[in-house]
Amino acid sequence: MTAAAAGVLAYFLLGTLGVVTGKGRLGGALAIVAGLVSLGLWAPGFPEGLIGDPPWGIPLVGDTIALAFWCFIPLVHAAVWWHERRRPSAFHGLVTLLVGTCLATVLSRDLFNLYVALELGSLLSFLLIGYDPRARAVWGSLQYLILATVGMLLYLFGVALVYGTLGTLSLTRIAELAPDFAHPPLAIGAGLLVAGAAVKAGVFLVGLWLPTAYGEAPTGVATLLAGLVGKMGIVTLARLAESMPVGTVVTALGVLTGFGGLLYALWEKDLKRFLAYHVISQIGYMLMGFGLGGPAFFAATLYTVAHCLFKGLLFQAGGVAVEATGERTIPSLAGRLPRAAAWGLAVGTWAIVGIPPLAGFVSKEYLGIEATTAFSWTFTALALGTTASFSKLIPLFRPGRPGGAWGGIALLAFGVVGFSAWGLARLPGLWAADLWAKALITVVLGYGLFRILSKFRPRLPEVTLDRVAVAILGVSAIIPLTLLAFG
Amino acid sequence: MEGLTAGLMAVALAGLGLWTLVHRRNVIWKLLGLNVASGGSILFLVAVAHRPDGRPPILGLGPGPATDPLPQALVLTAIVIHFATLALSLVYVVFLTERRHTQDVPKLERRRSRR
Amino acid sequence: MRWVTALSLVALLSVLVVGTLGLFPRDPVEGWEEATSAYGARNAVAAIVLGARLWDTLMEVLVYAMAMLGVRMGMSTLPEFRAPRPRVAETPLLLKAADILIGVVFVFSLYLAASGHLGPGGGFPAGAILGSGLLLLALAKGADRLAEELYEPTLEGLEYGAVAVLLLIGAMTLLLGVRGQIPLVAANLFIGLEVAIGAWVVLHRFTTHRGEV
Repeated sequence: MTAAAAGVLAYFLLGTLGVVTGKGRLGGALAIVAGLVSLGLWAPGFPEGLIGDPPWGIPLVGDTIALAFWCFIPLVHAAVWWHERRRPSAFHGLVTLLVGTCLATVLSRDLFNLYVALELGSLLSFLLIGYDPRARAVWGSLQYLILATVGMLLYLFGVALVYGTLGTLSLTRIAELAPDFAHPPLAIGAGLLVAGAAVKAGVFLVGLWLPTAYGEAPTGVATLLAGLVGKMGIVTLARLAESMPVGTVVTALGVLTGFGGLLYALWEKDLKRFLAYHVISQIGYMLMGFGLGGPAFFAATLYTVAHCLFKGLLFQAGGVAVEATGERTIPSLAGRLPRAAAWGLAVGTWAIVGIPPLAGFVSKEYLGIEATTAFSWTFTALALGTTASFSKLIPLFRPGRPGGAWGGIALLAFGVVGFSAWGLARLPGLWAADLWAKALITVVLGYGLFRILSKFRPRLPEVTLDRVAVAILGVSAIIPLTLLAFG
Repeated sequence: MEGLTAGLMAVALAGLGLWTLVHRRNVIWKLLGLNVASGGSILFLVAVAHRPDGRPPILGLGPGPATDPLPQALVLTAIVIHFATLALSLVYVVFLTERRHTQDVPKLERRRSRR
Repeated sequence: MRWVTALSLVALLSVLVVGTLGLFPRDPVEGWEEATSAYGARNAVAAIVLGARLWDTLMEVLVYAMAMLGVRMGMSTLPEFRAPRPRVAETPLLLKAADILIGVVFVFSLYLAASGHLGPGGGFPAGAILGSGLLLLALAKGADRLAEELYEPTLEGLEYGAVAVLLLIGAMTLLLGVRGQIPLVAANLFIGLEVAIGAWVVLHRFTTHRGEV
């Protein structure tokens, strides 16, 4: 545990020094090395330890989720570091601090420590999204700030209620106490915790700050957000589902998120917003897996990692395309992309729609194997929609000019391929012929669905700040009521 | 009993703030509402720390029951976080007012002016 | 839309009220005395904030420092306030009061920071008091004059230096297991420094770009 905590502290220290001394790039590089050294010292995990003395210390655990995140976080950081290497030192200092916050979040098992870490992560994201002084980016950042603060406020009420009932903040201790929801404050507290974390995670309806924020962020920042920071809310939800009987609610949120995000993504024309809506849709898979628990929990962890890698790749490539051409909408980008961006988008799409043998296939099918049959079919339906939606990108795969900023794309693509190879070699049950056939048929059917759907142009309700805020209030009333009624 | 009263008042404060947040159009009003609601959540934590006839959790203040020190420590952290977030969001509001010449949320949300 | 809003808000509030009603009365607290004295403190809150949960506090200090960095960055993209500043209200009362009070304010904030582990107080209130002392000075003498006296790059270095020192104190306390009064006092003093400088940054930036104290 000491090694992991020392790694996080080294990240914080190097980030702070990077902000002030003008050596942010060097600090970032050193931080990546420090993170890897620390990982090498504590892998393959450590049992729960308190940082600080009992009764108030903060429990840290190096379990599978923590290990999985620590393994690929340096890769994402390196990709962002390389792509944004011309930025000033303070930018790199902020990125280092943000990555360090994520490293701290995945270790924590303490309700309030998760709150502080999520807030630090959001604050640094606000700064980075609004780093370029453009009115749209600043508005996206402010919107994110307001909605995330509402979510975290409800989370704080939840912390107070759970602490008031059980007298502890440690999630491990809460799991030992095996809370039952017959006692109203506990059920309500747990519901508010889930609702607050769902806002941060980007669940459909309550998390619709996400498209604007991700769509307007600078390329490297969008990669970092999609590939890393956005997953912190999911990790919090996973921790809650681990220690309290809220799995059903998390699964229900997952189903809602999967199809809701897809609905908006199908007809979106702006490339970066389109990718952001797909982040929401893919969050559905993870939440369903985490909510089901048991073997699906591990599968969902793997899916989260895979998603971080290929979604990071897609955002990186999309950002490079938008930077190189100055266009944002998919039709006007067609055939004008630099080669690196086109290839990056192609590999990312290949991975996300689940064509064998890349990461999407590995993680989605493994999740399908581990989940029950009903959910397995839900995953297939989602995959069909994802393919239909991503078929829009086919005209973009033909490069219009050579070159492009390939550094970050190459790193992330390497990560995707590496993950796929590892998964195919290690995970059981992936070499079945019917799985491969099913994946390929899904892709073909999805393309057919795309041809049908492109004939329609439905008018979806517009997403506004007030509507999302009301949705947050409503959802955070409904979740505790559900837990009270059925818990 | 005081703990319960304080808790209920905290909920009322949060309700007031959240109503301002969703009902007002001006972004400054929204932030004010958010801040009032944050005050509610902080008061709620303090209420949870309350014990009947409790004294401050400081050694050497004599016998008798003490209030719970942990929520009071959490409150300290939460206050600073809320203050920091508010300061940052006000800077963003100043920036948006300077560029877009409006603080009205529906006008800010229109995608027309893309800069 | 308005009805939906009202309905969801009322539902949320009633849920919260039900939760609050079931929460009280609560059990008495036990075992805090030993844990407090183990950290060499007498104020249990200080023992938690600067000892047992220092991990949280470090992140919180980072939140504060980064928000102040955001204020500095965001404001520097805006044009400075060009029009002549509104004149500072130089009433004799304010000037005299500032002269008399400022020393008291500074000493008091130092006292609060240094004795925060023994009684009510600590780095955050101390920094806030020091910051309001600076606000009093700015009101009396004008923010421009004060800004000339306080050299900004040094302040910036001090601010982030304080954060770095706090991280090192955190490493000592949390990883090496150092206990006692010295880390507590040092942490309180550096948190006070950090908070006061942050408050000055907000004050100064909003003055130069918005033109009012």
